[in-house]
Amino acid sequence: MAEQPKSVWSSISFWRRSAAWVTGFAVVLLIWLTFDTIGQITMGTDADLQNGVTKRVPAPTVINYNIKYEMNEKRGHEAPVIGEKESFFGKEWSVDEAAALLHLGKLTSQAKNCMNCHTLLGNGAYYAPDLTKAWLDPAWNNDGPMMGMTGKSTREEAMAEFLMHPSKYPTHARMMPDLGITAEEAKGLVAFLKHMSSIDTNGFPRNFGKEQGGTYAK
Amino acid sequence: MIEPFTDVVPSFFGLLNQGPLTLTIFLHTIIILPMFWIYFSEKKKLNK
Amino acid sequence: MLNSIKANKLQFESQKIGMMYFRVAIILFGAQLLMGLIAAIQFLYPSFLFELFDFSVARMVHINALVVWMLYAMIGSVYYMIPDETGREVIGAGIAKLAFWVLTAAVTVVVLVYIFVQVGSGTEMTIWLINEGREYLEAPRWADIGIVVVVLVFYFNVFATYLKGERTGVMTVMVANLFALAGLYLCGMFFTDNISIDQYWWWWVIHLWVEATWEVFVGTLAAYALIKIIGAKREIVEMWLWIEVLMLFGSGVLGLGHHYFWIGTPEYWWEIGALFSALEPVPLVAMFVHVLYDWGKEQGQVEAEGGAHAINNGPAMAWIVTNAFGNFLGAGIWGFFHTLPQVNIYTHGTQFTSAHGHLSFFGAYATILIGMMYLGLQGAYGIKNMRATKLSKWAIFMLVFGVLGMAVSLTIAGYEQVLVERAELGATWEAFFTAQNLIWYVQAQGWRLVMGVVTFVGFALLVVDLLTIGKKEAGE
Repeated sequence: MAEQPKSVWSSISFWRRSAAWVTGFAVVLLIWLTFDTIGQITMGTDADLQNGVTKRVPAPTVINYNIKYEMNEKRGHEAPVIGEKESFFGKEWSVDEAAALLHLGKLTSQAKNCMNCHTLLGNGAYYAPDLTKAWLDPAWNNDGPMMGMTGKSTREEAMAEFLMHPSKYPTHARMMPDLGITAEEAKGLVAFLKHMSSIDTNGFPRNFGKEQGGTYAK
Repeated sequence: MIEPFTDVVPSFFGLLNQGPLTLTIFLHTIIILPMFWIYFSEKKKLNK
Repeated sequence: MLNSIKANKLQFESQKIGMMYFRVAIILFGAQLLMGLIAAIQFLYPSFLFELFDFSVARMVHINALVVWMLYAMIGSVYYMIPDETGREVIGAGIAKLAFWVLTAAVTVVVLVYIFVQVGSGTEMTIWLINEGREYLEAPRWADIGIVVVVLVFYFNVFATYLKGERTGVMTVMVANLFALAGLYLCGMFFTDNISIDQYWWWWVIHLWVEATWEVFVGTLAAYALIKIIGAKREIVEMWLWIEVLMLFGSGVLGLGHHYFWIGTPEYWWEIGALFSALEPVPLVAMFVHVLYDWGKEQGQVEAEGGAHAINNGPAMAWIVTNAFGNFLGAGIWGFFHTLPQVNIYTHGTQFTSAHGHLSFFGAYATILIGMMYLGLQGAYGIKNMRATKLSKWAIFMLVFGVLGMAVSLTIAGYEQVLVERAELGATWEAFFTAQNLIWYVQAQGWRLVMGVVTFVGFALLVVDLLTIGKKEAGE
């Protein structure tokens, strides 16, 4: 090497050692944080749901419950609230059935490439609406436009019908294409969406569905 | 003095989160501090 | 560039392999821009190719071609710099060439399946054979495994040569960084029903690539290129490189937290993500200062000795200076815009992200990789002093102007979307479309398309320049 540097600040070995330390320690911290986080975002169990234990990501059987998204004073933002039991596609799903349905739904969401138009948990493309809380969207309420258009009587059936023939039910000039989604796959997708709406996303998206009507912005 | 948890479940990192920036400044500090030791050990080597 | 296949003055097989990678990279770059144009048209005219070649397909090929052409150009750059840095031929050139052809064949098949098969049924088969449906990591599982094998071959080439040859600081950083870069890909190769865990590991690949290991890769390339183009002093360049590694990894590794605000992960990520990622622009400023400082210093020295130019490759240097500034502007400024959770709760998943994505991928990566291609051409034609042609100047101007224009348009669209869809109307289906149909948003998308066309023209000029500059200047 060249002559000795005069100051520590211009010595390669100081910066090399510092770089190694900072990188190494940051990685150690990240791995520690990862263990902590994975523990917290692992799916809960059916027993958690029955006992009212709050999980960031509930068990697949959450599809048997009513889900709301409400302001939580303690958290300081909105959070999912899991309420009373309600039927989903006309029945209560057992632990195994619910897990299988969610599995089918998640697989289908990837196979049909949802993420390259929509966003899931805010990640994806920006050509179509965010699906994080799509299950709770007021458009699918009893008095909402989608129910009348699809001619179905429950939220889940209306969503499944839309997913199977999206271009038959256009809401805007920009339509969802027909992706050949079967009746079973559509059920799975609705279960996947309902499950996703029960995930605690730290208040994202804010004010979801609170404001109705249009904007004066022109 | 200790703030109550706001998060879903308590955790070590949640504990360090005691108000604005406390957790992140703590992490930054423990990453930077050992560089002082590296600095002085390099200085010793140079003076030799 | 094509002529360089025959009239090849490169003495090392390694550098010839580098040129092979560059040629495929530029073709994929073109494919990326074409797909981008289709997607941009669909924003304005949604019936364009509807149910024939939908937005999701165009967008998938758009971002996959982007990642793959950059990886090609990165691998090419490494093969190109190996002989210069280690002072010897790459070990295992034969198998490296085989790996190149295997990878290129696999990429071709994957793209054809994307375009013609598009989607499959909701089974594991689709994930193995058609596409994995995870943004950026859509490559089906069989291709994932193929990529891992090819990368192992590539890493063997680099590592074995490094061990046998001279071990410079630049090469040490390169070897260590490539190890992390390649290993991270494994985090994206599994399926889970839990979307939060899915996205947790997905970000390990995406973030730790583009905001950590790729950035260090760029720092390393810039160090190599500065020594090569302006004859910067190795001791200074290597000291800067270590400082950059320190700051890039110091902020970038835990900066990963800014992707963990809203995907189901705990609240403590707000703090970690906010400050660590807010510091991510600092090393990018340092890199910019470094490049300009070295340039000024070497130029001053040359002038003091009565010479005219410190730079022996005009177009390459132009792209590297553009990189230094574009990295800071696109990744640094545009990233900082929406990295704090207080802001990000509204901007997450809007055109804001898209604006940042366009400017940062171009500014931080495309620029320096194009610079490396010019460096490769200089070597292939044995040109001592390569000057920018009129075409090179027009190409760089149109590309920079086009991408900057797209980023500004998308930022305006993003602002409008954030205010109306997110803040005012609360992010529902109806809120989304209300914002998408407002006149300001539509105008911004219109300008984006215009600027996309400008970018494409710039690309065409770049290709013509790359094809002709070598022959022209070697003949003079």
